[in-house]
Amino acid sequence: MSDLAPTEIKALVRIMDELDYYQLMHVKRGVSVRDVKKAYYAVSRTFHPDANRSLESDLRDAVERISKRVTEAYAVLRDPRRRQAYDRQLNENAGVRMQLAAAEAGARKQAQENEGLTPQGRQYFRLANDEIKRQDWRSAERNLATALTFEPNNESFKSMLKEVRKNVKYSPADRR
Amino acid sequence: MSEIAIGIDLGTSNSCVAVLRDGTVEVEVLPNAYGEATTASVVALRADGTITVGNAARANIIHDPAHTISSSKRLIGRYFFSEEVKKAQAICSYQIVEGPNHSVRIEVREEVFSLPEIGAMILRELKSIAESRLNEPVTKAVITVPANFNDNQRQATKDAGQIAGIEVLRILNEPTAAALSYGFGKGLAQTVAIYDLGGGTFDISVLQIADDVFEVLSTCGDTFLGGDDFDDRLIDLLADEFLERENINLRNDPFALEKLKVAAESAKQALSVKDEVEIRIPDVISAADGGSSLSIERTLSREEFSRLVNDLIQRTFKVCDEALQQADLVTRDLDGVILVGGPTKLPMIREAVEHYFGKPPKDDVDPDQVVALGAAIHAATLVDNEHNAFLLDITPLSLKIGVAGGLAETVIERNTPVPIEQTRTFTTFQDDQESVAIRVYQGEARESEGNELLGQFEFSGFKKARRGQVPIDVTFEINADGIVNVTARDPESGQQASTSITLSSGLSDGEIRNIIEERRSDRVQLNSELVPADAEALGAVRLVSQPVTSIPETKEALAESTPAPAADPPTASVEPSDEGIASVTPQDPGITTDPEPPTDDLESDDEDFATKVDRFEEELELLPDETLEPLEMAAADDVTAIMNDDDLLAMSRGPDLDPENPATQTSKTDAEPEADPDLFEDVGTDLTTLDGGGSENKD
Repeated sequence: MSDLAPTEIKALVRIMDELDYYQLMHVKRGVSVRDVKKAYYAVSRTFHPDANRSLESDLRDAVERISKRVTEAYAVLRDPRRRQAYDRQLNENAGVRMQLAAAEAGARKQAQENEGLTPQGRQYFRLANDEIKRQDWRSAERNLATALTFEPNNESFKSMLKEVRKNVKYSPADRR
Repeated sequence: MSEIAIGIDLGTSNSCVAVLRDGTVEVEVLPNAYGEATTASVVALRADGTITVGNAARANIIHDPAHTISSSKRLIGRYFFSEEVKKAQAICSYQIVEGPNHSVRIEVREEVFSLPEIGAMILRELKSIAESRLNEPVTKAVITVPANFNDNQRQATKDAGQIAGIEVLRILNEPTAAALSYGFGKGLAQTVAIYDLGGGTFDISVLQIADDVFEVLSTCGDTFLGGDDFDDRLIDLLADEFLERENINLRNDPFALEKLKVAAESAKQALSVKDEVEIRIPDVISAADGGSSLSIERTLSREEFSRLVNDLIQRTFKVCDEALQQADLVTRDLDGVILVGGPTKLPMIREAVEHYFGKPPKDDVDPDQVVALGAAIHAATLVDNEHNAFLLDITPLSLKIGVAGGLAETVIERNTPVPIEQTRTFTTFQDDQESVAIRVYQGEARESEGNELLGQFEFSGFKKARRGQVPIDVTFEINADGIVNVTARDPESGQQASTSITLSSGLSDGEIRNIIEERRSDRVQLNSELVPADAEALGAVRLVSQPVTSIPETKEALAESTPAPAADPPTASVEPSDEGIASVTPQDPGITTDPEPPTDDLESDDEDFATKVDRFEEELELLPDETLEPLEMAAADDVTAIMNDDDLLAMSRGPDLDPENPATQTSKTDAEPEADPDLFEDVGTDLTTLDGGGSENKD
């Protein structure tokens, strides 16, 4: 059984909406999935409703609210796709809570964006992707640049182009 | 000393009660008055008004099928029009009728019972078994349910507990209970699968055990697959062969059918210890001329039975594939497989499980008792601070909300950990709209119809304003019991909605109070009050615990066990046959003289049922095609909500659509996709949503 002090519980409920999921779970941003799980077990030992049955009812309600938020945090952080969407939201200062549907939507959007949002962008991205596999950096560079003319703001294309350019520097002058 | 709390496995065919005694770590099953670990989940209503529960009641089935209720768990928390109820009607000899709000009722001897009330009778019996073994009153219990039970079924089970005078500490998933029983107090670090094949359902759960934490990773199930289906295959075989040979369909005679059922079940059980059984059913029915009586005699080998049910066994592994995939694991990641449920005692199932998982199942726990033992452990942890075991469970079914186009949008996906709470913001769809209706579903189908309707409610009282100007927060909550709560709130006024979900097919608090006050379950003649001599008088109560069975066939034996016409003790008796080969001979108190052969009733019921399904489908019929726009378009449609009907399933049409206002809402959505609230499209009861969150459900 947990030994939570009533003041602790009340304080945590008050600030819960300001804590991001990493703070709530007492883990660092880059934490591994395995450690997210460990943290979930540890925090659950304290806040799971079963661990707090002997509390007064208003405190029990408070603990249950925390427990539900912890579950949500776990469901987001243990899933790399959802976590990526959540990190992005944190980076953009767009709020510390991300409900599961939003995380799913974010993950889907991210997956789409990774592949390209326009038919032409996707087409050139796929070509570039194949060329990267063949280590044909120059062609990949050209096709990514073309993809970016269709989707100038695509972060995934941009970062990939950056990587490809690093390789272009070190590759033989012209393979063809 | 803390208060005693028991664990109850309320099974489809058999139930079991266990306890973890105060001050010990040993958990034990509490046997009934006959010393049996399990008690049949059967309720017999006798002509004199008394009610018998358990194995004595089960023995009553053969000669009084219309007044003996078995497998009632298949019906609890169901809608009358559901497939499962239809299926039960085809095989049950008792009268299944429709109650208020499309609920299911059982009518016996002109009395109508709700399913929770029948469940309560079984629970009372189990409670009394526990009390007589523990010598103290018991009021608290953990009751288990199949993992894929939906909220309606869970609530109904909880109601049954309340009617039986039990404070239900937790509705616990059976596989989770089994894992607890397997891993409690052992300090394990393992990933295990629980293969749970019960009488009526199949569940597979994958759990990670880390010392005192039991985390459920995934749960999948098939609610239409169980040990009873194995029996049915055998019944069909016997009935088909008989039809071919004698040109008589035994399925049309409830007495003959009950004999077939008993014979099939016994043969199945015998095959778990023998390679071959002899099925003997003398006098199964009278010949068409009314004179001579006909019999069934047949040898059944294990191989033959295996062939008969192999596809059913393979179906369970499809579900296992799904569960492993959801947990992101493959079979070799598992440290062990635990079997739950009577049917898993069959060698053919154990072999198939070993083959699929690549390791032999753990056989240190009795599949019939493991769930009750786990429930008892959990019960102890909930009343006693000394015992620690944290269950981190998940919701086995997706929680959804009805949206336009007859679709259901997922709000909480299945296999999401609980307790959890998710809030979605909706808004009115029409200028000056006064109310919105929210329909909540559980299930995996994309179409709302393919899911279980948990209930619906109306929210009103918010300020009148232009459409889209009134935000309404709808909060979906699943607590640690897996029980669903949905509330609506006006964030501006803070006004809270018309409450949590009204259970569509369930009992209201008032109804439960009435049932408790009516005290019909006081008529239950509790087995634990019987002395063993009475037990003997009640006849064949060892059918369950003694799989290899035979029935005396001599006239003397018949005369001995056949009751006098007025009395009604059970008539199937059981003894080991001298060859050691199982044979089963249910006896027949008089088919031809029975005043109420239910066959005709069943047929007319079917017609009735079909009409009701039609009616229901009409009620559910969606709006005219033009309203079934893609979600973005739906936002622009002008539809009115009229939700004032008491009938939960009735659906009212909105007025004709307004083709104007093409896409104002849509462009707004494009501008701020994250912030845009969901919209109520009040087509009677459906909503539509515009956030990217769930309009495309995965698969």
